[in-house]
Amino acid sequence: MTFVDLLFLGFSEAITPANLAFCLLGALLGTLIGVLPGIGPTATIAVLLPITFFLPPLAGIIMLSGIYYGAQYGGSTTAVLVNLPGEASAVVTTLDGYQMARQGRAGAALAVAALGSFFAGTVATFAIAVAGPTLSSFALSFGPAEYVSLMVFGLLAATILASGPVLKAIGMILIGLLLGMVGTDQATGAERLTFGAIELFDGIDFIVIAIGIFGFSEIIANLERTGSEGVKLAPLSRLWPTREDFHNSWAAVLRGTGIGTLLGLLPGGGATLASFSAYSLEKRVSKHPEKFGTGVVEGVAAPEAANNAAAQSSFIPLLTLGIPSNNMMAMMLSAFMIHGITPGPTVLTNQPEIFWGLVASMWIGNLLLVVINLPMIGLWVKLLTVPYRLLYPAILLFCCIGVYSMNNRIFDVILAAGFGLLGYAFRKAKCEPGPLLLGFVLGPLLESNLRRTLLITQGDPSIFVERPISLVMLIATVILLALMILPSFRRTREEAFQEEEA
Amino acid sequence: MTITKTAVLTATLLAAGTGAALADWPTDRPIELIVAFAPGGGTDIMLRTLAPFLETELDAQFPVLNRPGASGEIAYTALSQARPDGYTVSSLNTPGFLTMQIGRKLRYDPADICPIARIVEDPGTFIVQAGSEYKSLTDLVAFAKANPGAVSVGTTGVGTDEHLAMLQLEQAAGIDLTAVPFGGANEAKTALLGGHVAMIGLNVGEYTTSDRSSFRALAQFAEQRSTLAPDLPTAKEQGFDVLMSSERGLAARCDVPEDIRAKLATAVDTALANPEFQEKAKQQALPLSFKSGKDWQADMPARLERFTEIFKMIEGGQ
Amino acid sequence: MARLQDTAKGDGPDLLSAGLFIGFGALGLWMSRGLDFGTLAQMGPGFLPRVVCLLLIAVGLAVGLPALKRPAQAIEAIRLRPLLVITIAVVGFAFAATHAGFVLASLWLVIAGSLADPGGKWRHVLSLAAGLTLFGALVFVYGLGVQVPLWPF
Repeated sequence: MTFVDLLFLGFSEAITPANLAFCLLGALLGTLIGVLPGIGPTATIAVLLPITFFLPPLAGIIMLSGIYYGAQYGGSTTAVLVNLPGEASAVVTTLDGYQMARQGRAGAALAVAALGSFFAGTVATFAIAVAGPTLSSFALSFGPAEYVSLMVFGLLAATILASGPVLKAIGMILIGLLLGMVGTDQATGAERLTFGAIELFDGIDFIVIAIGIFGFSEIIANLERTGSEGVKLAPLSRLWPTREDFHNSWAAVLRGTGIGTLLGLLPGGGATLASFSAYSLEKRVSKHPEKFGTGVVEGVAAPEAANNAAAQSSFIPLLTLGIPSNNMMAMMLSAFMIHGITPGPTVLTNQPEIFWGLVASMWIGNLLLVVINLPMIGLWVKLLTVPYRLLYPAILLFCCIGVYSMNNRIFDVILAAGFGLLGYAFRKAKCEPGPLLLGFVLGPLLESNLRRTLLITQGDPSIFVERPISLVMLIATVILLALMILPSFRRTREEAFQEEEA
Repeated sequence: MTITKTAVLTATLLAAGTGAALADWPTDRPIELIVAFAPGGGTDIMLRTLAPFLETELDAQFPVLNRPGASGEIAYTALSQARPDGYTVSSLNTPGFLTMQIGRKLRYDPADICPIARIVEDPGTFIVQAGSEYKSLTDLVAFAKANPGAVSVGTTGVGTDEHLAMLQLEQAAGIDLTAVPFGGANEAKTALLGGHVAMIGLNVGEYTTSDRSSFRALAQFAEQRSTLAPDLPTAKEQGFDVLMSSERGLAARCDVPEDIRAKLATAVDTALANPEFQEKAKQQALPLSFKSGKDWQADMPARLERFTEIFKMIEGGQ
Repeated sequence: MARLQDTAKGDGPDLLSAGLFIGFGALGLWMSRGLDFGTLAQMGPGFLPRVVCLLLIAVGLAVGLPALKRPAQAIEAIRLRPLLVITIAVVGFAFAATHAGFVLASLWLVIAGSLADPGGKWRHVLSLAAGLTLFGALVFVYGLGVQVPLWPF
């Protein structure tokens, strides 16, 4: 069968009323849990998994996928509206998205995020269709050594993220790394930095830190400034993006899509790394890097495109190799298996209707999400007119339920409250929390891969420069470092910092 | 889901009003099923699949409650603190339940927890790339003898099933392998496919659900060949004394009345014999293997002793 | 930190950052004291934590020492009311959710949390608490299957 035939087969499967309905249901549910902070798609899918027993295989998988990428759409909504990232990949969206909301441009931010995500989703879906198997071999060529170099590069790039001094950003990354080490050491089983608390044996959950540092401390800081009366946003200037917004963001969306599609293939922090990298890249290539963090539209468009592209392309290793690249995909693997399908190359040849039906439904799902979300923007923006006095208890409640529901225990909520206090201290110290979260997410990957590499080579570090992909990334890291140390670059950074102070 | 949930909650409310009497067990109150792992994991899906069958069997509600963490210790602690009235049961996994008793201060007493029934026994296996030069365990051992430390074996950490199996093989064959820890079976599989490690440890269940055209299994570490892989020779058949299986089942507090535990065990046994359940288990590649709580418990001291020996080897610098 | 504010010189926020960095580094070093350092080929669990902590202390010093010489800049004033009220409300929610059920926990959180803002009217707070609790019970407990009891028994 030719490509067109296969695509046609896929669409004819995906467009049946039942499959279309489950796609819509999944996308809606995904948007809902994405919007609610703390409630993640993984838990929701786990709860819904048994229900899909009773559905035909394709319908069940279509619905679960819809939840997954729907959550990526929804996650940016709270990031923009209330400065609360629902997931690691939405952290950077808060940087410029929330600033846009404060300037009365929340509608524009949300619309750009939705349209950018749709474009990225379309491109990444077609990447799966056209080049899935080729792309998966790219993912396989990433061994432990390549990961180490990628992580080092990623962490260094994170310092670009913050608008304050480089040293403080590095300090925050290091604290993130340290927090990421809490728990049982994967390699030796030794417990580290846990204060002997059994609840910390599996490490700290991302949601606990994000809700503490972003959610709780934001509420405290807002109330502190002038009480609830003082938290006022600029009146909504217009609901939709201006021509200028589109003009500024299209290139950012393109670059974000490219980065997201590639990094989404990699196991672990793919989507997170993608959104951070896309933002850092935009800031590097921008003609006005000093404006990042003050509400520029590229700062929303690039990471949103990147994380949605990554969400789609993370299906590639699962569909073509049968190997899930993150927890969500592991859940999808269970969903496939419950229906007696073993993902992998054989599915492509033996059950093409499953593979192509899913690919087609992903595109349809992305389309449905835009259709659902664009009209919703009007509604979301209305939310901003709710007085803060009524809004903050609701945010507080959603955050608490989200944290509590991860493991059903008191400890996590108290820990999140502790991180709220820490986040408050960071605010007073004028340290930005973004780099901390990146260090936290990437740290464990860096450590385990570094140790793996040196175990395999029996202590010989020359592997890092012998392997081509690793070498390229190390060279990029050195160039980046040189740029930051060069005085001219430092001056622009400081100018940017002072402008913000003013 | 919502309807079940509503029913459960209504039942809870009613039960609270009437007060629980042991004679009414198990119909007057839902039986909480604690799962020691996060939603979506193998044990979780297995028990969520089993729960409806137990519900029909006992005419009771079985709400699943996930208490993940510390490789099961959090769930076992919760179980040992529950009331001994038969309304709380938990998942039980070996070798985790046994190995955590070695050299770790636990927050519960393992002697308080009695197995009710074993549901699954899944032997360990070593797999290599399909195109690998190792066709059997013997080939691999021969190569490792000539090149000490050169064979890297992907595991999921120190003291895990795969690592213990590797140590047994090292001891049985007199070879030296390099253990490379990964964050989970899937990470290890990716590294194997990319050629970054030579061999990885898995369970037979995980192996049979992988794409078999890209992997080759060398041996399974059971006394008898698993029903999932009847063609795969055991390590013993190939002349190496390596035994390693993960078992999953249910447990309750030991002071739960004997007849309640017996009723639960019978219910599990009947559910496992149900063709409808067997069909679902087959789709999930669950190697069903019922064993009564008594028999399972009787196995444990010998296995614990064996693990203790192996752990001593780790501490002695391997 | 108050000690540092007394001096006429010193960039408050930067000194606080330095204190946080050095504090975390020192705490991490102390906590990882019993962990095996290992070698490059066989890194122990203590290898990277110690390296990171030492770097953190170095960064802390690099941020803090120049800040001592800069002209004084005060840390923004701290108001205890929102800080304490929000923290206590959240911690209380955690215990209440486990022992007293979702309904009481949610009512507590919203009512106690509202005290952080002195301007609220009781009538508004109570109706908000009731509305949010109903919404939370429907959406989270029934709809999304969050595993928490609704009532205290």
